[in-house]
Amino acid sequence: MLILGIETATMQVGCAIGGHEGVLASVHSAKGKRHAEQLVPSIEFACEQARVELSEIGLVAVDVGPGLFTGLRVGVATAKALAFALRVPMIGVPSLDLLAFPVRFSNRLIVTAVDARRGELYYACYRQVPGGVQRLTDHQLGSPDDLASELLASGEEVLLVGDGAQRYQEAFEGMAKVELVDTGNSHPSAAALVELAHARALREDFGRPDEIEPLYLRRPDAEINWSTRDGR
Amino acid sequence: MSGSVDGKPVDDSTLVLGIETSCDETAAACVRGGTDVLSSVVSSQVELHARFGGVVPEIASRAHNELIIPVTARALLESGLDGEDIDAVAATTGPGLIGALLVGVSAAKALALAWDVPFVSVNHLEAHLYAGFLEEPELQFPLVVLLVSGGHTMLVLVEGHGRYRLLGQTLDDAAGEAFDKVARFLGLGYPGGPAIDSIAMSGDPESIRFPRSMIDDGLDFSFSGLKTAVVNHVRTNPTVGTEDVAASFQAAVVDVLVAKARRAARQHGAAALALGGGVAANSLLREQFLGACAEDGLHAFLPSREMCTDNAAMIASAGWYRLQREGPTPLDCGADPNQRLTVLP
Ligand SMILES: [Zn+2]
Repeated sequence: MLILGIETATMQVGCAIGGHEGVLASVHSAKGKRHAEQLVPSIEFACEQARVELSEIGLVAVDVGPGLFTGLRVGVATAKALAFALRVPMIGVPSLDLLAFPVRFSNRLIVTAVDARRGELYYACYRQVPGGVQRLTDHQLGSPDDLASELLASGEEVLLVGDGAQRYQEAFEGMAKVELVDTGNSHPSAAALVELAHARALREDFGRPDEIEPLYLRRPDAEINWSTRDGR
Repeated sequence: MSGSVDGKPVDDSTLVLGIETSCDETAAACVRGGTDVLSSVVSSQVELHARFGGVVPEIASRAHNELIIPVTARALLESGLDGEDIDAVAATTGPGLIGALLVGVSAAKALALAWDVPFVSVNHLEAHLYAGFLEEPELQFPLVVLLVSGGHTMLVLVEGHGRYRLLGQTLDDAAGEAFDKVARFLGLGYPGGPAIDSIAMSGDPESIRFPRSMIDDGLDFSFSGLKTAVVNHVRTNPTVGTEDVAASFQAAVVDVLVAKARRAARQHGAAALALGGGVAANSLLREQFLGACAEDGLHAFLPSREMCTDNAAMIASAGWYRLQREGPTPLDCGADPNQRLTVLP
C-alpha cells in the first residue's frame, strides 16, 4: 500500500510517499509560514519524484501536532480532503513522535520539544523499543524552565530534539546529562511519518477522517479569558 | 463567449464545487453552468461565537476544520453527484479571517488535485455580487449592488461580468458591525442584526431622530457617529424603551443605505438595483429598498435571505465566471485576508 504523509506542524512544510519498499520520495522546505502555498505543489513534486500517481495512494497520513495551529490546520484539512476525494483511510501521528523516531538508536531518554510560541514548548519523553520508540508521557505544554527542571529531576542521560529545544537552548546549557541534537533533525520528518504510518497500517490501525483533528493542547484565548472571568 | 480549460469548454454543463470558509459559516455547494444550484449546504457557527459577542477567529478556524469535509460530503450527496463528476473546485481566498480562509483553500486545492480538475480562487465580495445571478440570470447591466454585511458596506457598479466600479464604501464601521455593537449595548445579544430587526417591530422608528450621517453627501458611508448617538441618548434618557431605540436606530441606518443606493443608481444610469450581504436580510431594508426602486422605476433585485448571507453557491457561481474569463488559479495560491475587489480604474 502506498502512503502519502503530510507534515506541517512547525515552520516546515513536508510530505513523503512510501510503502513496504520504504520511502520513495520526501520533500521538506522550511522557508517559513507559507504552508498553504507550498503544500499542494510539494505533494505534486513528491508524486513526480516517486513516479506515483496520486490515484495510487492507498492511505493518507498526517502530522496532527502539537504545533503551529494554522500550519496544522492546513495539513489536516489538506489530508482530510485528499483522503475523502481518493476514498482512502487516514492515520494521524503526533509531531513529537515524528521527532523521536529518527533519533531512536540511542539508549538515552529521548525528549522531543516543539516550539509552542509565547515562551512555551510542547514536549514528551520517549524510550527506544524494538522497531521504534515508545512515548512514556502525555504531550505536555510548559516553559523551557519547566522542562529543564523535569530533566534534571529525572537524573537520566537525555537526548533533546526539536525546534523548541533549539529555540530555547540556553535553558538547557550547562546540563551535563542533556545533549541537544543539531538542527538537521529539529523539524518533524515526513519520511518518519510514512514509516510510522506503514507500521500502523499493517495492523489496520486506521482513523476515520472525522476523528482526525489537530492536537491543539491549548484552548482558544477567548475561551480561556471567558472561563477565568468572574471565576467561571 | 466561452473560455476553456484543458481544451474543455467552460459552458452550461460545467459543474463547479464551491467552498466558503471566510468567516463563521462553513459552506459547500454544487452549481452547474454558473447559475443552476444543485445543492447548497451552510453550517453556521453562530452558536459557538454567541457568548463572546462576535466571531472569535481561532474558534472559527477550529470549527471549519471539523466541518469542512462533512459539509462538502453533504453538498455532493444532495446534488446526487460523485466527486468524479466535478469539473472545477472554487474557494474563497479573501477577504476574511486568515486562519478560517486557509482551511477552505487547503481543502479545495486538495480536492482539485485529487480529482485532477482546475482550482479557482474567488473573491468573497465578488461572489456576493454574483449571488444575484443565481436567482435571476437575466439581470441587466449596468447594475448597482448595495453590499452590506458585518464586514463590508459598499456600493458597486457592475458594468458586466468581471467589470466593477467601487462607487462608495464605509469610512469606519460596516453596517452589520453597527447592528452588532448597538445590539450588544442594548443587551440584545449576538448576532445583532436579527435581534434588532425583531425587537424593532414593536418600537416606534420615529420616536428618536438619530443622525443620518453624510446622507446628502456623496456615496460613502459612516456609522460610528450613529452608534455614539445611540449610546449618548440611552445614557441621558435611561427610561427610554429599548424597542424605540432599536427601531429608531434601524430606521437611521436603512434611510442612509437606501438614499445612497438610489443616488448611485441615478448618477450612473443603472437599470437595476440589487442587494447583497447579511444585512440584506433586514426586513425594513428589504421593504424600503423595494419601495424606492418602484418609485424610481428601477428593476429591483432582492436575493432570498439564503443567498444574501454567506453561502458557497455564490462562490461556485463566481468561480464559474472567473474560470471562463481567466482560467484556473495555480495551486501555489494562498489566502489574502485583505483581498480587494478588482475594480476598473
Ligand atoms: Zn459575506
